[in-house]
Amino acid sequence: MTTSTNPSSTIPLNQLTRGQSGRVQIDGAATDEVKMLRAMGLRPNASVTMCRLGEPCIVSLSGACGGGCRLGLAREIAGRVMITVDSRTDDSHTGE
Amino acid sequence: MSSVDALPARGTRIIAVLGNPNVGKTTLFNRIAGIRAKTSNFPGTTQDARHASCCGAMLIDLPGVYSLDLEMSESALCRGVLDGDLAPAGIDAHEPNAILVVIDATNLMRNMTIVAEAIDRRLPMVVAVNMMDLATRRGIHIDLERLGECLGCTVVGCSGKTGQGVDELMAALESATVPNRSAPTDLDAIEAWGDDIYSLVAAARETPVDDGLTDRLDRAFTHPLLGVLTFSVVMTGFFWVIFQLAAIPMDLIDAWFGTFGGWVESLLPDGPIKGLLVNGVIAGIGGTLVFLPQIVLLFFLLALLEGTGYLARAAFVIDRVMRPFGLSGHAFVPLLSSHACAIPGIMSARSVPDPKDRLATILVAPFMSCSARIPVYVLLTVILFPDSPAMQAVAFTSCYVIGVSAGLMSSMIVRRTILRGASRPMAMELPSYRLPDLKASALLTYDRAMMFLRKAGTLIVAISIVLWWLGAYPNNTKGFDPPIGATPAEVEQAQARYHASHSFLGRIGNAVQPVFEPLGYDRQLTIGVLASFAAREVFVSTMAVQVVGSDDVDDDSVLGSIASARRDDGTLVFTRATSWSLLVYYILAMLCLPTLVVTAKEAGGWRWAWLQLGWMSLLAYTSALIVYQTITLLS
Repeated sequence: MTTSTNPSSTIPLNQLTRGQSGRVQIDGAATDEVKMLRAMGLRPNASVTMCRLGEPCIVSLSGACGGGCRLGLAREIAGRVMITVDSRTDDSHTGE
Repeated sequence: MSSVDALPARGTRIIAVLGNPNVGKTTLFNRIAGIRAKTSNFPGTTQDARHASCCGAMLIDLPGVYSLDLEMSESALCRGVLDGDLAPAGIDAHEPNAILVVIDATNLMRNMTIVAEAIDRRLPMVVAVNMMDLATRRGIHIDLERLGECLGCTVVGCSGKTGQGVDELMAALESATVPNRSAPTDLDAIEAWGDDIYSLVAAARETPVDDGLTDRLDRAFTHPLLGVLTFSVVMTGFFWVIFQLAAIPMDLIDAWFGTFGGWVESLLPDGPIKGLLVNGVIAGIGGTLVFLPQIVLLFFLLALLEGTGYLARAAFVIDRVMRPFGLSGHAFVPLLSSHACAIPGIMSARSVPDPKDRLATILVAPFMSCSARIPVYVLLTVILFPDSPAMQAVAFTSCYVIGVSAGLMSSMIVRRTILRGASRPMAMELPSYRLPDLKASALLTYDRAMMFLRKAGTLIVAISIVLWWLGAYPNNTKGFDPPIGATPAEVEQAQARYHASHSFLGRIGNAVQPVFEPLGYDRQLTIGVLASFAAREVFVSTMAVQVVGSDDVDDDSVLGSIASARRDDGTLVFTRATSWSLLVYYILAMLCLPTLVVTAKEAGGWRWAWLQLGWMSLLAYTSALIVYQTITLLS
């Protein structure tokens, strides 16, 4: 999963701070891992919030799930998912 | 539109139950099927499915998948069933007569991928929007009628937990039709299609529900320090229950079979029928049932833990430890279970999603010290440190550590050679924390226990009978020369030894003994090792029969007699070097035929079972040889 129209606000998912939200950006080949993540809810434009940093990181998917859906991701996978940071939560939280 | 009945069906009508993981599919299936459900393997695969006959059709609960279009064994299996190529054993495979797609009302948008894939199959279909009760509590409203119009098929709102809408669902399945609308097949288009439908039919809060408690629990349970501590406490409790609580029914079963065997023995005249019934059939059935309490408790506790949502977090905690050895966090539960018995441990490796991870887990599971090794560990540690309970405890604990280390090392080797490739990084849904469903856990446990009895049980009984026969025949004491001046007890012992060495098993022992000579084992120990292939704990009773003429190993004097047993040349059987060598051999060796059979079934072929046997035997033999020769040289 790659891409960025504005490099300054697009970062890998594992670089979000706790409580910070963003939207998933996807471009490129639909590998089996990408297909799996998309089917799990990490799809283009899905809104994610970082709940726990580290290994694993835990993200909450809102909207698509009514707020109750959480994914645990190994750092390796989270580093490959690009996120456009939501400006409302940017700089408003610090990490753990 | 064609109805279920209108479709040409070969054999049983099949309704495939399809859905994402964690949508309450199994709870809904249990609500519909209850105790009628059975679990069967899909021939030629390592997976099974629950199925039940309902309303004139066979409902098959397929494994939860996020998409049919993934290169995962679960997705491949679902595709196989929907294509009509696969069906659980005993059911005629053909294209399903209907698909019941279960989706989560609280997760509607994400579930639309599997709905689109199901529509694309052009089979009669019903969509069950499950967890409606939870959606209502979360302020999510779904217009079911409109959703039905969008999908072109019947949509029923229901709750597997409360039973709401289940009757309506069953009625809808009776008249299921092929959807009169189509769905896109391209991933981007499917997502756009799902978003459009979601915006038309659902009204939900914009902001996530407050899940501060989930946040706090998640941080605690996956914390590098606190998470490991919690994990240790949970697992200690888990083990305590399995070993301590199960010991009560296990002792009762053991005692009952002992009494029953004695009663049958007193009724029947001496002869082969009596021997077969008492030492073959009754001992074999008793030997199987004695493990049942541990297996039942293990599966019940695992189902409860899984139901709380904790197990998914624990898998992440342990993943960090396991990955350098080529195993994933998913392998933890199977390896933990193997400390009770490798058979349910290997069976529970089905929960490991990556095929290579799963195979590696199955291959190394028997290295974990199962409860059948305990009697042997006790005997040998007592012989090695007769006056030091502290050293006995250290040696005993070391046995477990050596077993785990050998398993991890073997996994590392196997993942760098024949199962090359990195362990799949974990990405998994963390289900909400909730109180476990006792009924669902009990049903799952019942299913697993019955599977164990049907598969492993019949085999253990068969192997016990064969080993009894090999050990009992030829029942010929011609040529036995009682020692002059011996007491009746000594005569009995000498006769037992004579019989043991002249039985088929004894003759095999005599023939095989030269192989074990470099390890320090004489004929009697070789027979003990060979008899252990039925079950390891047989070693102690076999040794007792040979050296004492009685298998009453609860008697301390009998254990003492085993410890001071002499070889035919008068030297001690259990020297220091031999005891260490034997201990190492029992920690590492694959001495359990039923486990081999289960490995072959679960790994998908006998080649994996032979590899497991070959590798473990080689490692055990080499290690025991080094230990024996080193100690002999040093002393």
